[in-house]
Amino acid sequence: MLKKSLLLGALALVASAAPALAQDHSVKIVLNEEADLLEPCMATRSNIGRIILENVNETLTELDVRGKKGLMPRLAESWEQTSPNEWRFHLRKGVKFSDGSDFDATDVKASFDRAMDKSITCETPRYFGDMTIQASVVDPYTVDFVTDPVQPILPLLMSLVTIVPSETPVKFVRQPVGTGPYKVTDWTPGQQIVLSRRDDYWGDKPQVDKATYVFRQDPAVRAAMVKTGEADIAPSISADVADDPKMDVSFLNSETVYIRLDQSMAPINDVRVRKALNLAIDRQAFVGTLVPKGTELAVAMFPPSTLGWNPDVKVPPYDPAEAKKLLAAAKADGVPVDTKLTLVARTANFPNVTEVMEAIQQQLQEVGFNVDLKFYEVAEFEKMYSKPYPTDMGPQLVTAMHDNSKGDPVFSMFFKYASDGRQSGLKDPKVDDLISAASEATGDSRAQLWSQLVKYLHDDIWADVLLFHMVDFARVGPRVDFTPSIATNAQLQLSSISFK
Amino acid sequence: MTSFIQKRALTSLISLVGLVVLVFFLSRLTGDPAALFLPIDATDAMREQFREIHGLNDPLLVQFWHYIVDLAHLNFGESIRKARPAIDVVLEGFLWTFQLAVITMVLVTGAAVVVGSLAAFKAGGFFDRFASFVSLIGASAPDFWIAIVGIVVFAVSLGWVPTSGTGTPLHWILPIAVLFIRPFGLIVQVVRGSMITALSSAYVKTARAKGVRTRPIIFVHALRNALLPVITVIGDQAAALLNGAVVVETIFGFPGVGKLMIDSILQRDFNVVLAAIMVTALAIFIMNLLIDLAYSLLDPRIRN
Repeated sequence: MLKKSLLLGALALVASAAPALAQDHSVKIVLNEEADLLEPCMATRSNIGRIILENVNETLTELDVRGKKGLMPRLAESWEQTSPNEWRFHLRKGVKFSDGSDFDATDVKASFDRAMDKSITCETPRYFGDMTIQASVVDPYTVDFVTDPVQPILPLLMSLVTIVPSETPVKFVRQPVGTGPYKVTDWTPGQQIVLSRRDDYWGDKPQVDKATYVFRQDPAVRAAMVKTGEADIAPSISADVADDPKMDVSFLNSETVYIRLDQSMAPINDVRVRKALNLAIDRQAFVGTLVPKGTELAVAMFPPSTLGWNPDVKVPPYDPAEAKKLLAAAKADGVPVDTKLTLVARTANFPNVTEVMEAIQQQLQEVGFNVDLKFYEVAEFEKMYSKPYPTDMGPQLVTAMHDNSKGDPVFSMFFKYASDGRQSGLKDPKVDDLISAASEATGDSRAQLWSQLVKYLHDDIWADVLLFHMVDFARVGPRVDFTPSIATNAQLQLSSISFK
Repeated sequence: MTSFIQKRALTSLISLVGLVVLVFFLSRLTGDPAALFLPIDATDAMREQFREIHGLNDPLLVQFWHYIVDLAHLNFGESIRKARPAIDVVLEGFLWTFQLAVITMVLVTGAAVVVGSLAAFKAGGFFDRFASFVSLIGASAPDFWIAIVGIVVFAVSLGWVPTSGTGTPLHWILPIAVLFIRPFGLIVQVVRGSMITALSSAYVKTARAKGVRTRPIIFVHALRNALLPVITVIGDQAAALLNGAVVVETIFGFPGVGKLMIDSILQRDFNVVLAAIMVTALAIFIMNLLIDLAYSLLDPRIRN
């Protein structure tokens, strides 16, 4: 009797376990740092965005970072420019928030006003700069935005504004409510965040039904977790632990490393000196040695998948002899080329930053530059990175890393190159004109103007020393199919994960 | 005894107040939280707005006054990064650290006292040499190295335990093992040294002469006298663990107060730093009190 019941029990167990195993569509993702908030208006910050952006909180539009579809509809079905400074968005119908309420135009207006509200410090306003924007509800499924000045890329900017219910308080929230395919079902601080699939999502049902996020600071531990099957995806591990070709993939991570040249000071204000700085650095020698294999040499401030990428612009050759000649010519004309230049870098900015900077210092010294290398931690570095620049340090070469995964150069070019740009090293009317013309243009002419600007900056005025488009490594376990993209650091859509 | 505790409580309170004042002003010397909370290319207006919202534009003394008034109402302030009460964040972390510290120290004390005593009994013998060898390695090996090697060997290669995290008792094995090694090495050495002195003393010789068996001689006669310096070292090691086992917490993803404190200092989340320091200081005060009581239990001379 006992034997029989044991046998039956075992059979029942097997029967109940079998479908459960077959249907296990949950994933575990191990990230390097925990989100301190899950605030939708902070979703452009990578540690928050990776979890909630488009998973929990959606945007009106979405940039296709994997294909070439450009800007795609998400919560907005379509949009049009009704006058030079006015955009109209037609919203999707039948969309519900995870709290059961309906999505409509008042939510869009409220989300936008909340993100721009001065009583909380959302990240959203920084993408809108000094422009004024007024959102108004036309009918429940139509919303207008009036901008001053004209804003040709407003639909693209809307891919950064997350939508929350109009009742959301104007203070940081820890339990976001959104229209996305997932909702937050557990957040145990320090341990895990769990997203579960919603049954009432308006769009296609993603394969993943539950995603658990855990956090480990050490890349070796993240890699080990995928190896042992404790996690399925580690979106970012370091190059030195990416030693399993079956599981590890490298991908461009949208960060560009460059040296900013402040052209207001001699000898940097001389174009020959700037060109010599560019020719003196053997960029290729770093790849596969101090920066990981797969790193691409940069010729623009934004990665190759961005609109306006110019394939005609080539990486400057490593030519120390020519650099020396240029310096000698400049010296003959009275340019003080012996002036001490301070090469500034940020501690722990990227792996091997110390060695990379020391090598660059040496290469510059070899052609005759007088270079002093200084490292600063982030807050000190910020004082040199953004205007007003310190005036008591002499000419500085500031090494920085810039992230643009947003598909359009506008997020880089004004800040880095316009006369009024906060991190710009130049004042060039032609550059200013091109930036404003490109910012206002659309379609092919926009791409063309950006390309033209890239060429002018790189080949004509040698505006800065562009170095590398950086790569990251992801480890993906055998259960799942997932290819990281240029945006993986900023957002990791669970719908892009499938099972083998 | 009550007056002894009262006296100790008063001196500890004075130190705590001094600590809070010191940390309040020193942490603010590290710079502006706005520079770290906001992205590096945030506008000046955004930074200004952030400082205004969090009261960072007020003169330092005014900020301190507000803090003290709030503290008097048991309000430790909000965490800037997490938008929740700082004390909640700290207590959550402290609970993990406390469990880790208590389990580790109980195991360490038990093991080190037995191994150290046995090593001392036949000083110079095989067991003594072996125990010294192992404990010296333990006392000198860096714990991040032991942790990573532990993960590679026991989690990745052998698959006996999970690599990291929390959830099941198995998750505790590696972190505790790593935390165990260093204090174990140290305390074994102290127990051994102290026991060698005790075992060569006149009262032990007398006990032997009277025919007392070996085990009671080691664990009753000698150990009780040898334990005083050992307790000092145990207290010292336990205090270090209560402050958070930063390396172990970081590598194993254990949500303790040590990592929290380091992160909060790096992010300039001042309220969390202050709350964490107050909580750990209080815990260490209580522990010191317990150690004093243990002294007086072991040595009646101290009671008087």
